[in-house]
Amino acid sequence: MSIKRNLPTSLISGFALSAVFVLTLLKILLENIPQHIKRAGDELLTLNESEGVANAVTTVVVYFRGFDTLGEIAVLFIASLGIGLMLSANTHCEIKAKSNFMLSSGSKLLFPIITLYGLYVMIYGHLSPGGGFQGGVIIASAVLLLLISHQNFEVPHSVIVLLETFAGVSYVLIGLIGLFTLDVFLGNFLSHDITEMGMLVSGGVIPIIYIIVGIKVGSEMSSIVQNLLNRSENV
Amino acid sequence: MIGFIIFAAFAAIVIVAFSALIQPRLADAVVLFMGVGLGSVMLFFVFQAPDVALTEAVIGAGISSLIFLMALKHLRVES
Repeated sequence: MSIKRNLPTSLISGFALSAVFVLTLLKILLENIPQHIKRAGDELLTLNESEGVANAVTTVVVYFRGFDTLGEIAVLFIASLGIGLMLSANTHCEIKAKSNFMLSSGSKLLFPIITLYGLYVMIYGHLSPGGGFQGGVIIASAVLLLLISHQNFEVPHSVIVLLETFAGVSYVLIGLIGLFTLDVFLGNFLSHDITEMGMLVSGGVIPIIYIIVGIKVGSEMSSIVQNLLNRSENV
Repeated sequence: MIGFIIFAAFAAIVIVAFSALIQPRLADAVVLFMGVGLGSVMLFFVFQAPDVALTEAVIGAGISSLIFLMALKHLRVES
């Protein structure tokens, strides 16, 4: 099976794309954008200090738009489920190619460092750029490194099921506790004083939710990568 | 200086995206697609969106192109 690529269509679409980019560039460079322009999120960001979280984006993603984040996690779960269903025809896998000594040793050296960086990005998501999504994907890339370098390595299915179930259930439970105590879904029922802003333990429920998001994203991306890799090594 | 960085990143995105379109081998196109992600990481960082830059670096340039490569291998495209 081979995909025949239609070259004139590619050329035309490439020229159109280039024209759009060049026009945007000229617009940015030639027009002086006024500095005092009112942006869409300014009204939202003035509310940021009420939650005591240093990173404004985290407040928007987890608190003001927390229900959307729950929906995004559900979308990712459905994508993982679809890949698992599509590629589940022949689940038994054995990787023929043997990785060499340098790859296996180097991956053993790099795996703890990448995992530690992912955990840092995840836990400090309310203080510095990053958060649950990014940290979870970094941890999944560390798992991918072990998957491609070790023949017999496999994340057990029960571990993935346990982590995903724990993360999803606790996200909804925290939201429901907020609903019953403060009458708002995902309400911030822990202490979130403005004087604690910038500390590791601050912002009440927001860092806990982001760590839960990180666990769920990491396990889902690991399962996606594992399914794809097993299946594609098998054909 | 910032204007030069913005100009360079835009030009790199345009050139790399255009050359990814006309590649005869699909694996090369995927690698060039990672270059598009790299240029947008620079743009996001210059426009003061480090969160989006980190997301683009991890997901856009890392995991998604790896998934593309694995899907390409899964399709058994001769190229």
